[in-house]
Amino acid sequence: MAAATVPGDATETLAARAIQVTKIYGQGQTEVRALDNVSVEFPSGRFTAIMGPSGSGKSTLMHCLAGLDRITSGQIFIGDVELNKLSEKQLTLLRRDKVGFVFQAFNLLPTLTAAENVELPLAIAGRKPDRAWVDRVIDAVGLRERLSHKPAELSGGQQQRVAAARALASKPAIVFADEPTGNLDSASGTELLGFMRRSVDEYGQTIVMVTHDPNAASFADHVLFLADGRIVDEMANPTAEKVLDLMKKLGG
Amino acid sequence: MGKATLKGLMAHKLRLAATALAIVLGVSFVAGTYVLTDTITASFDNLFKQVTKGIDVAVRSQETFGGATTGGETRDPMPESVLDQVKAVDGVRVAEGSVTGYAQLVGKDGKPVTTGGAPNLGVSFNQDSAFTAGSTVRSGRLPSRPTEITIDAKTAGDTGYKVGDQAKVLFQGPARTFTIVGIIGFGEADNLGGARLVGFDLATAQKVMNREGRFDEIDAAAEEGVTPEQLRDRVRAAVDPRYEVLTGQQLAEDTAASINDTIGRFLSTALLAFAFVALLVGGFLIFNTFTIIVAQRTRELALLRCLGASRRQVMGSVLVESVIVALVASLIGLGLGVLIAGGLKALLSGFLGADIPTTGVQFRPRTVIVSLVVGLVVTTLAALIPALKATRVPPVAALQPETAFAPTGFRKRRIVLGVLVTAVGVALLLAGLFRSEGNRLVNVGSGAVVVFFGVAILSPLIARPLAGVIGWPFARAFRLPGALARQNAMRNPRRTASTAAALMIGLALVAFVSIFAASIKASTTKILEDSVTADYILMNDNFQPFSPEAAQRLAEQPQLAAVAGMRIGPWKLNRVGKTLTAVDPAAYRQVVRTEVTAGSLDGLASGGLAVKDTVAKANGWTVGENVAMEFPRTGVEQVPIKAIYKDNSLNGDYLLGLPTYERAYADQADSQILVKAAPGVAPADSRAAIDRVMADFPNVTVRDQAEFRDEQGRQIDQIINLFYSLLGLAILIALFGIVNTLGLSIFERIRELGLLRAVGASRRQLRSMIRWEAVIIAVLGAVLGLAIGVFFGWTIVRALSSQGITEFTLPAGQLLIFVVAAGLAGILAAVLPGRRAARIDVLRAITTE
Repeated sequence: MAAATVPGDATETLAARAIQVTKIYGQGQTEVRALDNVSVEFPSGRFTAIMGPSGSGKSTLMHCLAGLDRITSGQIFIGDVELNKLSEKQLTLLRRDKVGFVFQAFNLLPTLTAAENVELPLAIAGRKPDRAWVDRVIDAVGLRERLSHKPAELSGGQQQRVAAARALASKPAIVFADEPTGNLDSASGTELLGFMRRSVDEYGQTIVMVTHDPNAASFADHVLFLADGRIVDEMANPTAEKVLDLMKKLGG
Repeated sequence: MGKATLKGLMAHKLRLAATALAIVLGVSFVAGTYVLTDTITASFDNLFKQVTKGIDVAVRSQETFGGATTGGETRDPMPESVLDQVKAVDGVRVAEGSVTGYAQLVGKDGKPVTTGGAPNLGVSFNQDSAFTAGSTVRSGRLPSRPTEITIDAKTAGDTGYKVGDQAKVLFQGPARTFTIVGIIGFGEADNLGGARLVGFDLATAQKVMNREGRFDEIDAAAEEGVTPEQLRDRVRAAVDPRYEVLTGQQLAEDTAASINDTIGRFLSTALLAFAFVALLVGGFLIFNTFTIIVAQRTRELALLRCLGASRRQVMGSVLVESVIVALVASLIGLGLGVLIAGGLKALLSGFLGADIPTTGVQFRPRTVIVSLVVGLVVTTLAALIPALKATRVPPVAALQPETAFAPTGFRKRRIVLGVLVTAVGVALLLAGLFRSEGNRLVNVGSGAVVVFFGVAILSPLIARPLAGVIGWPFARAFRLPGALARQNAMRNPRRTASTAAALMIGLALVAFVSIFAASIKASTTKILEDSVTADYILMNDNFQPFSPEAAQRLAEQPQLAAVAGMRIGPWKLNRVGKTLTAVDPAAYRQVVRTEVTAGSLDGLASGGLAVKDTVAKANGWTVGENVAMEFPRTGVEQVPIKAIYKDNSLNGDYLLGLPTYERAYADQADSQILVKAAPGVAPADSRAAIDRVMADFPNVTVRDQAEFRDEQGRQIDQIINLFYSLLGLAILIALFGIVNTLGLSIFERIRELGLLRAVGASRRQLRSMIRWEAVIIAVLGAVLGLAIGVFFGWTIVRALSSQGITEFTLPAGQLLIFVVAAGLAGILAAVLPGRRAARIDVLRAITTE
């Protein structure tokens, strides 16, 4: 099928895009085609959700987009930079400076306080944090009171909000979130998703989120559906019901 | 259950490898020590069996005074008349007397031929072929004229002397020149256990070694049909009971045993002590590894408990794992021990210059048993506490999420226990040092070990703040990696502390040794400054006494104001062995400052005794009183006390007037000469005068005060370096401990490392983080070790103040170097773990649950 383009203003720049990306694990008999000729574009300032059943390749797509994994063929760009052409070291620097992450679990270093975790990518880069920006992010996630706490002293929802604040603190071009609400109760999950939504609306952040929760997907501007390594459908302005319906249709 | 244990073992085999290595090294040191000493012992046994071949019965004086000047045994020579008594015994086919004494060959370069501690002997050769069977004439013949000598093949090889060459020989009396007529060996051996041998005919030997009319030993061969034992009993009945009568076999065993006692036992005790240190350090490492493994396997163990495994089975599974590791490691260690024996031998002969003879390598069952038992016991003991901890894992732990931090309970209990153990250790140490009863060395040693345990128990309490302080500069200097390293070192204080504890032991001993050495040096300097007014100190470098003729001739030199020869002699007070120094007070007072509290040293000019004040007080002696002194030659004599003096660390406990000494001792030889130059004579002139005289006594070295101090320092350094190299093993093992702990920690923190990589940390930053953590742990261990080492050094120097070690010196620069070296070693220890940390697969680290 033609390249899936997340709709937006025609003048908008692309935060990331994948062109005919194929990812194959293993060889011969054990060969698994995790991504099969996927092309997709993510415009800046948009919140995109990637959905699909287990093994559909949604996590692989995200890992490849984020420069955590290498693709077998095709091209991936973050901004204007083609990831394939980068060395391991350059990829690390790209992740450090241009990409933010929120994972499902184990998002924080247990030895660092919440504040130190938020500023971790900046500390790794040896950059001075933009105080005003970091303060704004911290206030936005409502963690002002908890800054000196260690992760073990925070609830799961608070930990994920720290992780989200960290992802934004370095002003990355794009944030990837991998099942960020997977380990949270629904109230905490909603709180986190609300923050992500606001960061897109208010700060123009670009977010790509992998999820299998229709409710989580409903916070996005746009949803891509993956199955067997291919983009099989997409939906703009999703609601939980519409997403659930489409999932039933695709699954059935 | 057994299967689960084995599978677990295989799964952890990499983690256990470093642990096993610690056991391998410790056990190999034990095995190596036994192999080496057994081999040396066997060599001497063989050698003396060879030498005493053909001798059926030997007669000699009872050993009267042990621990004499030459370091060996002292036996008073027998009169020649004993030989006639032996010859008259029924069944004696032939009997001959022989003498042994000091004789030292001078090499072609004019320098006396030396050994690494073995004696320079002059011997007489028997005539009967039965007695000469032990030695083999390699070339030439045995000496038969007063101008002829033979030398041993080793000495011939070392000096390049050949049959027909002229060579000078030094005695306690005047030196003489001889013609070498033969070169001998002893069966396969080129010399007698490192000793240098010069052989004379009997009459010449008696003359040059001050044995005229006397023998040191009488050898007899039996007639056909008389057994050595029968002959021994008959000879024993015929001679004075003062004389010892042995069969040839007994003589061989006895001679070998006396050498083995001094060399073998000392050697094995010293080496085993180092092996023990290595194993102790290894024990800490095992404890640490098993503790970490149990912590990491909490869920697995809990699952086993859920499935119905009993506490006993869980404990058994950990212990069986440790036993298997111990067995495998001990067996490897045993094999390595044989190789290490060679290394140890090279190390010892390299440092001490000792000639250690070896025949075939001796590998005894005892070596195998002790090595395996030691390896097993140390390993299982160290694994016991982790095994007990494993039993405390509740089954529900399998169902709960992993706790991020190790529990930090039992703080109070730890403080009480730690303080208690440390106190017991210190008490033992002090008891060993300051009380005279009991086995002091064992007390000191066990006290030190207990102190180590006490501090190891306490150290987790201070590890967090201490690591914080040590890590602070790293966090400042190396930003994020430094800060993370600091926090990682602080996050599990028990683990950090027990890893550091292993290094602490090695560093404590190294620091102690260096403090002790520095204190000895400082004390020597102080004694020289305070008490010695002599300008020159003359002595033989093997502590061999030399001819008093040297002092007599020096005294004739106008450039010299005072020449004081000092003679050392053993004696007995109420059957307890003592040592005295004999001096001429007129000269001695000019070269050594002595503060006399009662009487006058001048009184010694006519003989008599001067005593140190503390000794006089202990015995209730006053000036004018007689002391019943038992001498080797004259027996008990009443000697008047002429003076009582204060300790100056030089006089020793007893000073004897020379006239009394000359009467009471057979051998008259100076051990040391102290010389003071005449006023107004330039140092170069006085030195030249001394050198001119001493050219005839090349076995005596002349040193001025500075040279003497340097030489003492050099000798101390030599021993210290040997200690350092042996302690190096313990430090090496401790470094494996750091490698191991970091490796295990990385395994545990794999997700953190993955996260760091995902959010942009470079491999280099991860490596640097691991590196600084290792350095912080190493420096922590070094600092703890230094603290203990300084304490040990201080107590021992205090305890030895009566032995002349009066100054406590902290070699600050050197101690600082140790800390820096420990830090550098930490960098080294972090190489492999750091590489592993940098190599982790980011994706797998963050996605695997």
